[in-house]
Amino acid sequence: MRRGISVAAAAAALALAVSACGGEDTPQQSAAPAPSGPAPSGPAAVSGEVTWWDTSDATNEGPVFKEVIADFEAKYPKIKVNYVNVPFADAQNKFKTAAQSGSGAPDVLRADVGWVAEFASLGYLAPLDGTPALDKPEDFLPSPAGSGKYNDKTYGVPQVTDTLGLLYNKELLNKAGHDAPPKTFQELKTFAQDVKSKAGADGLALNVDAYFLLPFIYGEGGDLLDVTTKKITVASPQSVAGLKVVEDLIKSGAAAKPAIQDSYTNAETAFKEGKVAMIFNGPWSNTDNLGGKVFKDNPDNFGIAPVPSGSVKAGAPTGGHDYTVYAGSKNLDASYLFVQFMDSAESQAKIAGKLGLLPTRKSAYDMPEAQGNAMIGRWMEPMGAAVERPWIPEAGQLFQPLVEGYQKLATGGTTSDAMAQDVAKAYQGLLKGWSL
Amino acid sequence: MTTQVVDGTAAGATARGRARGPRSRGKAGGLLSRHWYAWAMCAPVVIVTLVLIGYPLVRGVYLSLTDATEANMGRTIGMNTIPSTYEFVGLSNYTAIVTSGEFLSRLAWTITWTVVCVALHYGIGLGLALLLNRPLRLRSLYRMLLVLPWAVPAFVSAFIWRYLLNGEFGVVNAMLRAAGLGGLDWLDDPFWAKVSVIAVNVWLGVPFMMLALLGGLQAIPRELHEAAEVDGATPWQRFRHITLPGLRPVSSTVVLLGTIWTFNQFPVIFLVTRGGPGGSSEILVTYAYRQAFEGIRNYSGSAAWGVLILVLLIVMAVVYRRALRRQGEAW
Amino acid sequence: MSATDTAGAVIPATDGRGSRSAGASLALHATLVVASLVAVFPVAWLVLTSLKPRDAWQSTTVRLFDDPSLANYAQVLGDTAFPRWLFNSLLVAAMTTVLGVVLSATTGYAVSRFRFPGFRSIMWMLLVTQMFPVAILIVPIYNLLAGLGLINQFPGLVIAYLTSTVPFCAWMMKGYFDTVPVEIDEAGRVDGLTPFGTFWRLILPLSRPGLAVAAFYSFITAWAEVAYATAFMTGDDKYTLAVGLGQFVGQHKAEWGLLTASSVLIAVPAAAVFLLVQRHLVTGLTAGATKS
Repeated sequence: MRRGISVAAAAAALALAVSACGGEDTPQQSAAPAPSGPAPSGPAAVSGEVTWWDTSDATNEGPVFKEVIADFEAKYPKIKVNYVNVPFADAQNKFKTAAQSGSGAPDVLRADVGWVAEFASLGYLAPLDGTPALDKPEDFLPSPAGSGKYNDKTYGVPQVTDTLGLLYNKELLNKAGHDAPPKTFQELKTFAQDVKSKAGADGLALNVDAYFLLPFIYGEGGDLLDVTTKKITVASPQSVAGLKVVEDLIKSGAAAKPAIQDSYTNAETAFKEGKVAMIFNGPWSNTDNLGGKVFKDNPDNFGIAPVPSGSVKAGAPTGGHDYTVYAGSKNLDASYLFVQFMDSAESQAKIAGKLGLLPTRKSAYDMPEAQGNAMIGRWMEPMGAAVERPWIPEAGQLFQPLVEGYQKLATGGTTSDAMAQDVAKAYQGLLKGWSL
Repeated sequence: MTTQVVDGTAAGATARGRARGPRSRGKAGGLLSRHWYAWAMCAPVVIVTLVLIGYPLVRGVYLSLTDATEANMGRTIGMNTIPSTYEFVGLSNYTAIVTSGEFLSRLAWTITWTVVCVALHYGIGLGLALLLNRPLRLRSLYRMLLVLPWAVPAFVSAFIWRYLLNGEFGVVNAMLRAAGLGGLDWLDDPFWAKVSVIAVNVWLGVPFMMLALLGGLQAIPRELHEAAEVDGATPWQRFRHITLPGLRPVSSTVVLLGTIWTFNQFPVIFLVTRGGPGGSSEILVTYAYRQAFEGIRNYSGSAAWGVLILVLLIVMAVVYRRALRRQGEAW
Repeated sequence: MSATDTAGAVIPATDGRGSRSAGASLALHATLVVASLVAVFPVAWLVLTSLKPRDAWQSTTVRLFDDPSLANYAQVLGDTAFPRWLFNSLLVAAMTTVLGVVLSATTGYAVSRFRFPGFRSIMWMLLVTQMFPVAILIVPIYNLLAGLGLINQFPGLVIAYLTSTVPFCAWMMKGYFDTVPVEIDEAGRVDGLTPFGTFWRLILPLSRPGLAVAAFYSFITAWAEVAYATAFMTGDDKYTLAVGLGQFVGQHKAEWGLLTASSVLIAVPAAAVFLLVQRHLVTGLTAGATKS
């Protein structure tokens, strides 16, 4: 039924076919200079309008991106950038609806790393190899860069990267008699129980979300899928061992009874108010956490550590966002230049310095602007444990069965084994031709 | 009683129409000259509806018989061309849905949800309407306050309710705890999540029902009640034999429309529980949406779901109309 | 079904029309006060939250007041595009209301007064359009509007809204017109008016309450709609309120202070419109609903 992969292969073969059809009814977009015309000299001659759909937090992050855009427009005065903030929750569907119709889609989209392969397989994205957009690819960290590749072509360049770490309240851990964060799942459990018995707070708050389940699965050597052998591994003994760790944390009371609805917010709220000593979360939550009651006046109390390891390793999922260019863009040249500029080491360092988001370029980490933000350095160690996710077109569908299973597990409605079987069965329905 | 008036109007109109129609030569010409103004007055709505709903509907029926997805429907976007490779697959989308284990359990919950919501909308709405229909101090203040939930946009209310019902930090549980009762897992337990979505939807829907029924009550001639009182009818008898029959025309419309709306009530479920926990509060529409629109879109699957839901509702409407007719209602 | 249960509970209050005992009066008011509290409480909480500092909603303890200020309102009105969204929403809601009322009134009149071939099909058509799930209609309607060049245009959104408001309003207007005596039409015809003239000059002015109902319903629908607006409005200069508010909900964190303040600001015009039409509304729904 799903012929995503073969279709995309066909699409790749046809990549050179230039077509003018599909949505020419956006007259408000001024056309870029025809690529076949007498080549004007250099990128400074490129003109036109670039619409960018930014999916970042409009209140807290958007203003910084607008500053970088102002720098871009100063450098390329002939290109006008039309900044549109699209709420993250709406962006995937909104882009797909617009992209398939050929009308209304932006030129450049900030896409979650999990979306790129899907969009590319559907023909929505322009390949960036050989264009200015893919600038100094060797400078990118390999794991985030992998998210932009599909069928040996590059469809997205990484904007920011992130992963999960263990965030902890130093004072509460100290009260429980520990001056370092837990390094293993076993320690996680005992430390959490110590906090509960000695420090008068909960030890650990879990966020019942598929993404936040992955460190446990990775830690025991499991994974959702094995892409190279096309195997569904979510019900493998290793993955199930990871689920059992979670089940035990909840059943033993080491983890506070998790909220299902608004799980993320509840864990954050408890952590910020000192009601819980440890949570799993990513670098995006730095600002939020540091504004919390127990960290506001005492930022040193806020600890960041890699996720604890299981019997095999410590591993947390790679997240982040990529810049992608819409294949139907009328202003490809200007769009490529825009992506190049936004994703330069200088721009990344600026964004990192102001927002604490982790750059994807190695060279950006060395720049003074990025180093000015203490959070960047503190996340380097957790980033070392980042594991690449399966970058396949169906990636976006993998989380729903997992989160439904996790919700049932967290409320005692199922066991680890049964949950793994259910999820694997759902994956078999999604992934044609994959084996268990 | 209203029914008779209506029939009179209808008959009168028909008679007038005939009388006024010019002596026509051909049958078609006669129809046209006799009814052109009625058709003209309906035309804008009919055309817009046929284009915007009718076309997608017909196309949906066609797509539901194929295996079309976002990945195999042909299109060209810039430098990328996707060939069209979807095929006619007959009724297999429908059989896949109907034979999947989820369908019957989702349908059962959807029907429960619809019946309970509409019954509570109607019951509470009628109760409040009866109270507000009495001479009463502060009546317009009560009316304004009771209607407030309708004035707040539903997506805002849904968010607020999620916040109020939060298990750990929510206001409702805080009040329960303060009263010495334990808090409940309003949104986290499969059973209470269902209770919660119903409660929120009832809160949202009662004002409309109350106003509609209040209007209906005011239209019942007071003399009927007075005559019955003189005849010594008990309040219950008066309610049974005067109020309820008098309300029937109002009730039949709002119950029919309310059932359709509730059956397809996407936003409340989606915003309050997101179908959770573990998919337990998912009704057919939200389930279909998830099946079809998460990841690579399954256009044929979503179309089959849409057609199936439509058929279920049409069957419901036909049965409902039959039942009304048996009671002498005209439509 | 449960109507009878409720009826049973309500009966004691229905007793004794003019002369109500003190006890019955108390019960009546008590019931209404409780119901009003339930209706108002979430809205009141919304207002209270909007007065707290931006992040104060995220708290493990429940407090009525927490350093109340209008800071959230100042930020929403001063630092965000809220005024623009408000203007866009007003525009869309006004267009939907005016067009919706005119279209549903003409259709409603036709199906009320004339028995013509296709009458029953139209009644059914209006009903069936409410049955197809909106979530599934979005993509085909998007493609249709794209073909017409109406994506990211207010008229496109208005047309989409009309498909959901007009059917209901037409059904209701039909009911309303049914209660206007036929003699008025006849009088108009005697005076030499065309059917349109009769409708426009005689019947419509008599139907003001019904029109008010249709207007309020159309207004609220367009005012608060999310799904179509999110899909069809691709530029943020065209965002309506429901779409714009999404900007306060980030991937990981929602700005509840801003969200609640803007929600209050959104609800105020809606409540004001309701206050204006509520007297008509009751009468209007009466008549509209008395005939299906």
